[in-house]
Amino acid sequence: MAAVLLLGVAVVPPIAGAAGLKGTATSVGHESVTSASWGVTASLTTMTFTGSTDQTSTVTNTGDVALVAESYSVTVSNPTGGPTFKVYQCAVAWVSTKCSGGAGTQVGTGSLAKNTTTTITSSTAMAVSGVLYLQVEPTGVTASTVVTISTKIAAPSQLRAAVKTNQ
Amino acid sequence: MSKHSHTSPKEGKGYGKIAVAGLLATSVGLLATAGVYAGLSATATGSESVSSGTLNMTLTADGTSSGFSTFTPKMAPGDTDNVYVNVNNTGTLATASGMTLAVAGSPLNALTNGSVAGEGLTLTATQCSVAWTVATGVCSGTTTSILANTQLSALATATALSNVPSLVASTGQLAHVQFSLGLVGTETSTNGVAPGSTIQGLTAALTFTFTELQRTGVVTNQ
Repeated sequence: MAAVLLLGVAVVPPIAGAAGLKGTATSVGHESVTSASWGVTASLTTMTFTGSTDQTSTVTNTGDVALVAESYSVTVSNPTGGPTFKVYQCAVAWVSTKCSGGAGTQVGTGSLAKNTTTTITSSTAMAVSGVLYLQVEPTGVTASTVVTISTKIAAPSQLRAAVKTNQ
Repeated sequence: MSKHSHTSPKEGKGYGKIAVAGLLATSVGLLATAGVYAGLSATATGSESVSSGTLNMTLTADGTSSGFSTFTPKMAPGDTDNVYVNVNNTGTLATASGMTLAVAGSPLNALTNGSVAGEGLTLTATQCSVAWTVATGVCSGTTTSILANTQLSALATATALSNVPSLVASTGQLAHVQFSLGLVGTETSTNGVAPGSTIQGLTAALTFTFTELQRTGVVTNQ
């Protein structure tokens, strides 16, 4: 009998108007988004210098967003002597160490000394799949010296301006 | 001499009267009894008609917007995808003030689950008192923020929207809402390779679920 009463209480609905009895309506919308990727690659990232010969590397925007700047982290090994290096860029391929007959544009300022890692930045815009040509020019190399170039693309500062789309 | 009992005609009439009176008394009794029973089964009839209300909400594109759909361009950090939607109360019942929104991403990834600290999709919702000018993203009326810029990962559970009393607050109303999806990204790619934990190159199908509550029940005395 007690069980029957208890069941009876349990199934009696609460007073109308209580929050638990209010109806709810739900509506659903769907939106799909995809994020871009960004980055550049260099065709040659490790260069070994034993003399005064310049070496080149081709940089390609392999991401799917245009860039307004690119950074390079350049590490110079620690050979004997006092070699220094400069990095230049050109919009077209280097021909006989010349950029369209000129010297090209230096990336960063000053010279890169041995046993250092320096980040230099170019403010050149690069379209998707765009290409830049680097040339590393040594001075005073008397022993085998290794220069390593690592590309860096930081978001959002080195990506194209933000886009606002109304749809 | 035998005795014969005879009933006189006068006496016969007397017996008849008694019989009729008995029948009448019996009939009255029966009728009285029947009357009592008739009173116990009396029926009265009244009619009351009621109709239940409906609580419905729909989402439609606002103005020339395509509404919730697929955002084709690949989003870079800082980009914004503005979607313009009408939230319509198409039912016959008013809603209570307040509405919740939950956003689920599929598949779960760094765009929506907060797995890369400080990065991922964000959402802002703003109501305009009139239809949005979609081409320019301008509200020519009055804007009201109903959701401040929020990481989508924080909307995995239903979250109350702000300033909703005027939003679908009564029957037949609609709200013109701009939903701004933004992408926050602060990571650096090295040698063309994204970091191990990244928001790059991901796709998320987002499901926006709006829930409204009916108005408080009304007691009517009539």
